[in-house]
Amino acid sequence: MTTLMDRPASASGEASSKRPLIERLNIFTALGLGAVSAIVVWQLALKYLPQNADTAFFFNREDKISLLSLIAWFVGFMVGIGALIGPFRWLMGKDLSHEENMFLAGKDQGVKRYFRYTTDHKVVGIQYVVITIIIFFVAGVLAMLIRTNLGKAGGGWIQPQTYNAIVGWHGIMMIVATIIMVTGPFGNFIMPIMIGARDMAFPRLNALSFWLIVAAIPPVFISFFTGGITTGWTAYNPLASQAGLGMNGYIAFICIFAISTMVSGANITTTVVKMRAKGMTWNRTPIFIYGVVASVALALPAFPVFFLSQIMSGLDRAFATSFYNSAAGGSGWLYENLFWIMGHPEVYVILIPAVAALMEMAPVFTRRPLFSFNLAILGIAGISGLSILVWAHHMYISGWAPLLNAPFMLTTELISIPTGMLFLVLVGTLWRGRVWMTMPLMSIYALLWNFMIGGITGIYLSDVPADSFLHGSMYVTAHFHYTLMGAGLTGALASLVYWFPKMTGRMFDTRLSWISFWLVQIGFNVAFIGMFMVGLAGQPRRVEAYAEIFSRGNMVTTMGAYTIMAGMLVLLHGVISSWRSGVPAPMNPWQAKTLEWTVPNPIPLENFAVLPVVTSDPYGYGKVQQ
Amino acid sequence: MAIEVSTPENSQAPSAKWWKKADVKQTLLLWIILTPIIGYVGSEVQVRSMGAPASEVMASVKSLMRIFTWAVSPVAALVAAMALTTLMSKRHYGDMPPEDADHQIRNSPRASATWLVVSTLLCLFALIAGLVVQQKDSKSILDAKAMNINVTGQQWIWNFDYPGKGVRSEVLYLPVDKPVIFHITSKDVNHSFWIVQMGIKMDANPGYITEAAVTPNKIGVFDIRCAELCGLLHAYMQTKVHVVSQADYDAWLADRAALEGAA
Repeated sequence: MTTLMDRPASASGEASSKRPLIERLNIFTALGLGAVSAIVVWQLALKYLPQNADTAFFFNREDKISLLSLIAWFVGFMVGIGALIGPFRWLMGKDLSHEENMFLAGKDQGVKRYFRYTTDHKVVGIQYVVITIIIFFVAGVLAMLIRTNLGKAGGGWIQPQTYNAIVGWHGIMMIVATIIMVTGPFGNFIMPIMIGARDMAFPRLNALSFWLIVAAIPPVFISFFTGGITTGWTAYNPLASQAGLGMNGYIAFICIFAISTMVSGANITTTVVKMRAKGMTWNRTPIFIYGVVASVALALPAFPVFFLSQIMSGLDRAFATSFYNSAAGGSGWLYENLFWIMGHPEVYVILIPAVAALMEMAPVFTRRPLFSFNLAILGIAGISGLSILVWAHHMYISGWAPLLNAPFMLTTELISIPTGMLFLVLVGTLWRGRVWMTMPLMSIYALLWNFMIGGITGIYLSDVPADSFLHGSMYVTAHFHYTLMGAGLTGALASLVYWFPKMTGRMFDTRLSWISFWLVQIGFNVAFIGMFMVGLAGQPRRVEAYAEIFSRGNMVTTMGAYTIMAGMLVLLHGVISSWRSGVPAPMNPWQAKTLEWTVPNPIPLENFAVLPVVTSDPYGYGKVQQ
Repeated sequence: MAIEVSTPENSQAPSAKWWKKADVKQTLLLWIILTPIIGYVGSEVQVRSMGAPASEVMASVKSLMRIFTWAVSPVAALVAAMALTTLMSKRHYGDMPPEDADHQIRNSPRASATWLVVSTLLCLFALIAGLVVQQKDSKSILDAKAMNINVTGQQWIWNFDYPGKGVRSEVLYLPVDKPVIFHITSKDVNHSFWIVQMGIKMDANPGYITEAAVTPNKIGVFDIRCAELCGLLHAYMQTKVHVVSQADYDAWLADRAALEGAA
């Protein structure tokens, strides 16, 4: 592999007749090299890893082989996409030339740049849009399979093993899709322009963060066909150590995704801190930027823990270590702690940027200033700070530390105060504004409704006695769908419609955006209110069959779920048709005051010919009172 | 930067108080109407879905759900009332933006302060209410008169041992009105022991023993379900608890003991 990289891109005589290596690497070489390395390592490991007569060790051997192949896939893919060219050339003392950097930025390459290791933040943003849609589509189809199976009482048509694998797959794919759905597409495409920068602070890291996600997806697909993630997305040990080889795909997926999140977190944070336009003080920085930074900064401490928890899980499987094996001195509670130390900040990683995006849109569509910018910042900061101190509310009834239940109940309920601030900012901005009836504006109302239900049910769940009844039931499932989907996804879809003109140069079809909005919102509320009811009646979550008494609620949920799917398909149709043949967008269709609307369509490679100077915040709407 | 909510100086009625404005009046009206509706619908729909309680603990969970819903209903109703008022007043349709709003309000210290105080008080109220109930529930675990039952989860059945009686059963029998402490563990993976109508739940962890206590106060047959995904047949890991009179319980225990002695 190093010999491939060895060849200088343009220096040698041989290369002059051909295109240099840097121009020949793309997603296909990456997939090819990844697959070849995985197969080679797999075969080598099959042949040379010592056999062991002991059956307990036989499983370890299988796990070693599968983990090694996954690592080989990952390395091969990253080499094949060209992620190592830059570091390698730097190591050789021959850093990339200006032309090569311009090539990497995707200059004059048309569509091909979307399939390469392109560093332009606008290309990365579009790549994120596409990958987010793909993941949502797969995970959405899985959700439909789950709901179809649960359409009637007493066990459906999917085998329990397959059903559990679908639930785990749906869970983890949706979590990843929702984590990247705002900070990926809009944090990469819009954010740098919004702060008046020419690109991200580390353009190559930006490309790296995207291609890491692409590299992470095949392992989780393959895992479905090698036993599946039958543990739910939480992958609690010891259940995970008992599960089949599919768990290794989950481990690889999480580890690679965690690296991507860390890389993108460092990149986005640095960009915002160092590269804001002249005059853009913190008081003049748009609230969406605060949301994105809070989200990725929160991921910075959270995801290394997730990474570590899965490394330990892999070691337990492949090398029979005993981090989580209580029979050999470990503890399943250790896993639960590590998982939720990541898992609770993670829900705010999803939620905060989506709410912040709607806060950014609120003044635009009501033509008045944002209500209490300071409370918005305090709310975002308060949620971020508290969210790293609440993880054990997922463990009230685990028996791990009953004495800690009261302190964790305190920290959890305190989160309702900064969350309330966000509500006040949104409803305060709507107050006495001109309400411009567009899909993004209606999404603010939808968020207020959904997030109110998600938030209030969260108060019940944060309460130890109530949680002793509700924990592990469908009520919890409905609650977090209300927050992550009802609030989070609503914000992300609004962002898509709002920034679509800037990202694609075309307007999003208004009619389709409305149809999809109402289908999704109505279907969503029907589906998950039904789910609250069966949870209260006592249906555990993640069950493949349920008693007759739950059948009506489940039927309602299934019908709601199909409605959501219809709405999402309409949206997908809207994305494709508007992108291909929508009405060409003016430079600033919403007459908004943030910087991304000051650049022409299509946006030049380096965004601004002359870097802007900022003299006020972007919320100067409203008539001056005499 | 901060412009107070105040009437413009050239307004013909400088004495007009904020609560006399039309949109405020409409909001207040909606708020007064919506608060009881949200409180009633929210609490009744939830509490009725939960079914009849079979223990003091479950009864207190139900009353907590009711209290919390009523406590937050004014806040939810206020947000709803404000949102509805804005949605009903100055709508604008079309592809071009509407003209700017006729004010530049960026802040309202009064509204923010009120909001903060109210949400803090509500938060403290929820916390204290929860702690009081939790305290009450956890007292029974110290009850010296309580009977002990060992619960063992394994894929995918529950086993109940009655210590000192030499009885092991896959169906739980409990005498009514007698405190019972469950000592819960697992043989393989994590399970969660949930007696639905009694409102108690506790994980069964391999290698550890956890405890949960309850006093059943109603004769009948109730559901035990596993509430933690535990593999292939998780959905089917359920059994029944029979709460019977002390006499029936003693008879059942003697029967089982004789049966197991004979075997």
